Amino acid sequence: MLIMKNVSKVYQTEMVQTHALRDFDLEVKEGEFIAVTGPSGSGKTTFLNIAGMLEPYTSGEYMLDDVNVGGLSDNQRADLRNQKIGFIFQGFNLIPDLNLYENVEVPLRYRGIKAAERKKRIESCLEQVGLGSRAKHLPQQLSGGQQQRVAIARALAGEPRFLLADEPTGNLDSLMARQVMELLEQINRDGATIVMVTHDPELARRAPRNIQIVDGQVADLTLYQGVTGQTDRQVVGG
Amino acid sequence: MLEIKPIINALRRSKVGAILLLIQIAITTAIVSNAAFIIQDRMTYLQQETGYPEQDIFSITVMTYGKDRDLSQQFEEDEALLRNLPGVVDAALSNAVPLSGSGSASGMGLKPAPEPGRNVRAGYLFGDDHMLNTLGVELMEGRNFASDEVIVTQDPGKVPNVAIVSSTFALEAYPDGDGLGKLMYMGDKPFKIIGIVDKMKGPWLKDDRPDNVVIFPYIKAETYQHIIVRTEPGQRATVMQTVEDKLLAAYDKRVFTNVITLDENKRQYNASDTLMLRMLMVLIVVLVAITALGIFGLTLFNISKRTRQIGTRRALGARKSDIIRYFLVENTLICSGGLIIGCTAAVLMGQQLLQRFSLPALEFQYVAGTAIMVLVMTLVAVIFPARRAAQISPSVATRSI
Amino acid sequence: MFLHYIDLGWRSLRRTPLVSFLMVLAIALGIGITMTSLSVYHMMSMDPIEHKSSRLFHPQLQTMDDGEDTWSEDNLPYQLTYQDAKNLAEAPFPQYKAAMLRTGFTVHLDNSEIRPFIQNTRVTHSDFFTLFDLSFIYGSAWTQEQADAASPVAVISEELNQKLFGGENSVGRQIYLDDTSFRIVGVIAPWETHMKFYDVNNGAFNSQESIYIPFSLIAAMDINTWGNSNGWKFQNIRSMKDKRQSEIFWLQFWVQLEDEAAVSQYGDYLMSYMAEQQKFGRFNREQLEYGLRDVNAWLDYRNVVSEDNEVLVALSFMFLAVCLANILGLLLAKFMRRAPEVGVRRALGASKRQVFLQHIIEVSMLGLIGGLMGIGIAQLGLWGVRLTQEYYSPLATMDLTMLLSAPVIAISACVIAGLYPAWLVCRTTPATYLKTQ
Repeated sequence: MLIMKNVSKVYQTEMVQTHALRDFDLEVKEGEFIAVTGPSGSGKTTFLNIAGMLEPYTSGEYMLDDVNVGGLSDNQRADLRNQKIGFIFQGFNLIPDLNLYENVEVPLRYRGIKAAERKKRIESCLEQVGLGSRAKHLPQQLSGGQQQRVAIARALAGEPRFLLADEPTGNLDSLMARQVMELLEQINRDGATIVMVTHDPELARRAPRNIQIVDGQVADLTLYQGVTGQTDRQVVGG
Repeated sequence: MLEIKPIINALRRSKVGAILLLIQIAITTAIVSNAAFIIQDRMTYLQQETGYPEQDIFSITVMTYGKDRDLSQQFEEDEALLRNLPGVVDAALSNAVPLSGSGSASGMGLKPAPEPGRNVRAGYLFGDDHMLNTLGVELMEGRNFASDEVIVTQDPGKVPNVAIVSSTFALEAYPDGDGLGKLMYMGDKPFKIIGIVDKMKGPWLKDDRPDNVVIFPYIKAETYQHIIVRTEPGQRATVMQTVEDKLLAAYDKRVFTNVITLDENKRQYNASDTLMLRMLMVLIVVLVAITALGIFGLTLFNISKRTRQIGTRRALGARKSDIIRYFLVENTLICSGGLIIGCTAAVLMGQQLLQRFSLPALEFQYVAGTAIMVLVMTLVAVIFPARRAAQISPSVATRSI
Repeated sequence: MFLHYIDLGWRSLRRTPLVSFLMVLAIALGIGITMTSLSVYHMMSMDPIEHKSSRLFHPQLQTMDDGEDTWSEDNLPYQLTYQDAKNLAEAPFPQYKAAMLRTGFTVHLDNSEIRPFIQNTRVTHSDFFTLFDLSFIYGSAWTQEQADAASPVAVISEELNQKLFGGENSVGRQIYLDDTSFRIVGVIAPWETHMKFYDVNNGAFNSQESIYIPFSLIAAMDINTWGNSNGWKFQNIRSMKDKRQSEIFWLQFWVQLEDEAAVSQYGDYLMSYMAEQQKFGRFNREQLEYGLRDVNAWLDYRNVVSEDNEVLVALSFMFLAVCLANILGLLLAKFMRRAPEVGVRRALGASKRQVFLQHIIEVSMLGLIGGLMGIGIAQLGLWGVRLTQEYYSPLATMDLTMLLSAPVIAISACVIAGLYPAWLVCRTTPATYLKTQ
């Protein structure tokens, strides 16, 4: 469902050109669960942003469900994002003055779904992440793990076929991290395709398919297997 | 030492905010300096000396509809009645009330009409030998009317032949200062100037010759007439209360209206200037407050945006005073830019106002004064948030996320 | 979605109460001050007789000899001489025309019930009521015969009728103007304008006269004006008869001209009238000259809107601009701080348009609240105006137009101020704000 061919991303500043991705090739098939690892600054987040159409790419070709993303307008990309893609961020990125219910509602509103239908979906999604009884709470009243579960519920509410997770457990302790991971695995079993950026080798190992990004390119997995564990977590997290 | 260069660089990075502040300061300076100038101009106008003891004088308007009495005689009796009232200093019948905005004016010729010659515009009053005393003005030169010079008549052919004038008029008519005893003409009728009053204003303070006044010793009693009364200090209100009833008791086929003090008359005539004055004052105060609040709010925002940066600076050894100074210098830089533009705009605006409206030319000290005031105001608006910024703990720099 | 944006806007305003308060205060003060001066300006410059102001004209004749000056900007006298006013009023063309002046009388009923009082009176032709579309509650204007015979008849205002006769049909009743008994022939409904546009000589915003009597009485009763008389030439005036024959300007004159053809026809007529008058030794000029302005041109020419007010309106709008710059700065800071949230919304599928709309609606709410508060401040300001200058009392109010414009101006102003910050926040790359916190 996702095919990237020769995708490059160059950040241009006054002095230097930085190649965040260079000639990046990747194909993701329907129903896969992929863990993306790689050292800090290797281009993991850039890859995820381009995959989620949050950032334009400099050259190459990116097909999402046989649609050439490069040819879409900003509004079309927004719609596509809204319908097909769910995001889960390391920092949860819940909107602080909306309660849980309203946070989950955000993507549904942009899709123009009727209130009754929205209510049904939101309640079922919150139920699914185990927070059905706390719909009226504000994000700051929850623990980090709970917040991330709300973020997952929000990502699920739109019934996306494609979930992009950027360090979903980066800010969580290991117990909570495991819970979140189990939730993701469950979602994957229910049919969603998941691409997860992480630098936790343990989590990465749980994913059926692992890829590694080094210097903006997909690197040979076997060659770098040992390196991933040494990646400095502090730097990436900041 | 003042780190101006890094501040300028920082400003260049947040251009819009700085430009907005600059615009506000510029417009504020332009408006305030012009408004302050207009205010000053109106204040001078409103507080000018009129030459009259305004707080002791009042006037009444009388409209007589009865035709069964001789008006001249009736008014003689009225004047006598008024002059004998306790608390009244003097009273006089007149065709107009000074400062009231209603009266008569004419060009007084130096040659009899229709001979060509210079005309000097003057407001004129008709009154008898009590007029000067009633108005409370003093002769500077010459003498008052003698009672036999006063013409009391209903015959338009009979006119007096002397007049008392204000010194301003006398000087304009006879610039050498030798007006006393000279002749002037109203139409072809000659009048000898027998007295000169130092200062008195005519009916219209906004006339282009407000100080030119001529008094003729003439009483042509008409159905519509004014009576001017001067009272002992402090007695005016008491006299005003009863005067209408006493005059009506003397003869009742007439209507008295507009029993009004001279200062109230002047106030009404000048009400639009007072209004302008007040509106401009409100405008200035609110404008300065708004600008100050704007600067205050923006600085607060900037500080919260830079909390971490400020913490880092503190961690790197900046003192509290350095932080405060940083914001003060930053503000002063923006403010100076705004003031330069604002002063230019103020001058341009002053020229526009001068061209379009009958306002005097803006004096530069108002612009300069405003600029200093605005600078002080912006510094005051910055110092509170800057002090708050200085309280930021250096530890925020090390705290992650 | 619109209601949802309003909800979001409201939450956002509540989240930063101090900044929201500052912004609302700024817009409210800006609108309040602007509306105070604008309302007075609006009332001053309002068309007093909208449906026919372009068909009513005030002729002016240049009667002065060459080399004589008057005060007006084009050196034409503002008013007419009695003889010209009379001649033009008696001319066959156009159909509706009226010469007029203001005078005054002591009004009484020759009994002790009502204490005599002074009342302003307009002396004019019966076309006056047609020209200015005055409707009669009782009776009608005087007839041509009554005018020709200089009969003592009067039309009075509804207000005066209320005062004298308790509002009942007073046609046929007598009132005394000074010592002359007048018969009432008509009572007119109140004027629909606050402006005395037909005679602006002694204050365009004084109230209209309450008594109207036939023009022919000027000669019959030796009526003098209570308004301005201006002369330019030395003439020995010993009586009212002298004044009527003099070159003194003391009357107003209005005609109704239906179209441009009529206007130019009347212009030709005025030229030929002046040429004819030259035979009597008047109009000693090389160049004959006249003026013919319609109501609005006339009010403009006579500077009915005070200069002070124009200055104030200009200053208030500049003041509003300062308030806007102020709000713009605060909005910019506020919106940019919210960029991470916008990043999330964008990632969740919000289009730029939706984000833009959300912010514009938020600033519109700011404008609405500020505008409504501004009306309150303007009312306070207008109250101050009425207190300072009683003469402005009928002017210092907000009519429906002004009440509606206050929030409209406030919202437009806020939207203008909000455009840039909203545009800035909707075009930020969402990715920038998702990783960092």
